Amino acid sequence: MLLEVEGLDVGYGSSTVVHGVSFHVAEGEAVAIIGSNGAGKTTTLRAIAGMLPGSAGRITFDGDEVLGEPTHVVSRRGLAYVPAERHLFPGMPIHENLSLGAHPDKPDPAQLARVFELFPRLEERRNQSAGTLSGGEQQMLAVGRALMGKPRLLILDEPTTGLAPKLATEAYDALAALRSDEGLTVLVAEQQVPLALGLADRGYVIEDGHIELSGSAADLRGNPDVQRAYLGIS
Amino acid sequence: MNPAVIVDGLIGGLQLGLLAVGLTLLYGLGGILNLAHGQIAVFGGIVGAAVLDADLGMPAAAVAAVASALALGLVLDQSIMRPVYKRRGEERILLSLLVTLGVSFVIDGVLVWRYPSEALTMRVGTGGAVDVLGITIRQGSLWASAITIVAIGAVIVFLQYTRTGRAVRSVIEDETGAQLVGVNPATVRTVIFGLSGALAGLFAVTQSMTSPVTSSSGVSYTILALIVTVVGGLGSARGALLAGVLLGVVNAVSAAEIGSYITAIILLAAAALTILLRPAGLLGTTR
Amino acid sequence: MTAALSTVDATPTRRPPWLAYAPIAVIGVLSLIVPLVVGDSRTWMGVATSGLLFACYATAFNVIFGSTGQLFLCLGALAGVAGYATPILAEDVGLPLVVALLIATALSAGLGALFSWISVRRSLGVIFTGIVTLTFSLGFGNLLLGQRDLTGGETGLRIATGADTWLRELVPVYLLFLVLLLAYLGLFQWLQRSHFGWAFRALRDDPVAAELAGIDVARYRIWAGGIGSAMLGLAGGLWAVTEGFVSPTTFAFGEVDVETLVILAFGGIGTLVGPVIGALALTVIDELLRDAGQLRVAVFGVILITLFLGFRRGVGPALADMFRRILPTSLVDRFT
Repeated sequence: MLLEVEGLDVGYGSSTVVHGVSFHVAEGEAVAIIGSNGAGKTTTLRAIAGMLPGSAGRITFDGDEVLGEPTHVVSRRGLAYVPAERHLFPGMPIHENLSLGAHPDKPDPAQLARVFELFPRLEERRNQSAGTLSGGEQQMLAVGRALMGKPRLLILDEPTTGLAPKLATEAYDALAALRSDEGLTVLVAEQQVPLALGLADRGYVIEDGHIELSGSAADLRGNPDVQRAYLGIS
Repeated sequence: MNPAVIVDGLIGGLQLGLLAVGLTLLYGLGGILNLAHGQIAVFGGIVGAAVLDADLGMPAAAVAAVASALALGLVLDQSIMRPVYKRRGEERILLSLLVTLGVSFVIDGVLVWRYPSEALTMRVGTGGAVDVLGITIRQGSLWASAITIVAIGAVIVFLQYTRTGRAVRSVIEDETGAQLVGVNPATVRTVIFGLSGALAGLFAVTQSMTSPVTSSSGVSYTILALIVTVVGGLGSARGALLAGVLLGVVNAVSAAEIGSYITAIILLAAAALTILLRPAGLLGTTR
Repeated sequence: MTAALSTVDATPTRRPPWLAYAPIAVIGVLSLIVPLVVGDSRTWMGVATSGLLFACYATAFNVIFGSTGQLFLCLGALAGVAGYATPILAEDVGLPLVVALLIATALSAGLGALFSWISVRRSLGVIFTGIVTLTFSLGFGNLLLGQRDLTGGETGLRIATGADTWLRELVPVYLLFLVLLLAYLGLFQWLQRSHFGWAFRALRDDPVAAELAGIDVARYRIWAGGIGSAMLGLAGGLWAVTEGFVSPTTFAFGEVDVETLVILAFGGIGTLVGPVIGALALTVIDELLRDAGQLRVAVFGVILITLFLGFRRGVGPALADMFRRILPTSLVDRFT
């Protein structure tokens, strides 16, 4: 199992937001965590990325315990987290943002070519500073930067935040291409459930900090509760 | 007006810029306002003076000055600054300010108490003046500016073209983003604390080629560095260099034409006005 | 906030209101012992009176920084504005002493309120407020040196006003500053218990709710800046007249601001009795270090570092707590 989360509790200060969450992601899989705003998706992902301490439970990545490790250490293990706020380097040009993504190794020209092939727009604007890009381009750059480190697991938090519907669909098309071409393992948290279930093999539904439901993407799409709550089908 | 005054201002300004770069980078990296910066420079200067007194020669004194200031920077980073790093946001800035103010008193107090009359003076060349394009420049000034320009060049190359330099800038741009790509902000901070110490030591060396660096000059160095840093924009290395040169010329011209009290007030007013009118500094863009 | 304050504030309704002011009375009574014991020693009365002066400064800083989080690094300069204006108005302009003192105090108050206003209007935050006021501090020092005709420059200014009156006698001057300190402490406590204090506690506890409740934070900050600066000015002006001499050192950053910070680090920022305890501690330390010369500066440095890093229980965490709550922009608050 590439990523395994067991009985994870996470909170801010004295209040716990995520209660006993367990799930796993196998090598080569795409897994979606779906749920409404404030359900605990971001909190869970932040704990995995080392940005929040967990108060109970275990997170193992490729068999190693990573809960409690600082973010940069987790990142160097090959776990790339793209937060919804992206955290790009706004004053630096695209090419520098990308080469920083390759840390700690030298940027690999082949990987850079792959990223540019995936997002041609980034190559056109390689000398433009990240802060001047549009929302969609920033999202491409954030994913591109994460890919530069040749991650074993790509974790995306709400990749469609602030994107127009057309761009959101394009973003998921790009992710689908990444999966089919490279067999990349992906964990994505998403409110736009149809998009996420279109990409994923399996999914987990999180509500009020608890995993309420899990199953294959097809099962979840067919589940009446999921249909009512997230797919707008009654 | 005597063109030599402007040249003097330029040379002094470059040195100020170099001193301020260390301060501004540390601030940008994680909200550390190091009020002991000038005192670190003086510490290096006094160590250099001790080496000179021991007749070990000027190159050894210069190396000792830079190395000791660098070491002091590293020691501070690894000791009393550690609890400061645990805080976040404005809390960290405030605590860093108060703690380094304490450090500046300790260094100042100990140096003035133990070595009240010690000063670093380096007489380079024959001590005379030379003519450059019709302007008379002291040899000490020429040496000081040559060393400073080389050092500034090295800092720019380091920040702009090396991977560590890029990592430094990434932490300044977005600390969380830097961590996400595997940069450890603590390591970067240690590197910059050391670099900032070394630059302060180098400042003491070049300064001593034109005027003595006494054990009590720390406060005025810190204040000058702070003014330059604020005018250049807290966190901007390029801004610090530009502001250094600009204020250096203002300083020299005003001191020659108006008088030293007014000059000090002009420089302080420049810092205050920058904060009020353009808080991001000369080159900064208000985000 | 430290325990001393919260115990006073926690149960204001159950206890009679005068009880909140009881510590001030205790301080007043205890302070009367000093002149009874060493009343005819010039040295000791001088030390004690200077201790009272610094307790006054620290209480004023408590109003500005402790209550409303404005880092004024120009305490000495604000005291010095009145400290120089009082004798200049009385002697060069020829105003009666009381009028001169009042105008000088108003000058300090106006400047302090101006700094607060600027800091609020430009939303400067702790650090920029600190730097702007620090530049004022240093600029003021240079101005004193430069305006030799008016200020006497480096050598200072001898003040004839008040000479040969009770204003130059040991015990009356001590009592004058004691009354001033007690009044300042009373004012601080009254402010804490008034709508003003309530507003800032509400702001610390929940900035968003406080703003929603319509608390006009800006107005309170400016009032705090003005009142605190008036307190600094009055103390500085009185000190000038009773000493009969002022020089740039009297009001230098390294003297006034630094010692005030040390005092509050000792006693606890934002507490009622903190300035008194801190001033007492500082006076004792100062006496012990009288012959240490420059080493005294180093010892102050060590004290500042030790106290602010929180090795002494209460002060560090209290400061941290205060800031976590005061600053709406603080990262900590983003997730709550």
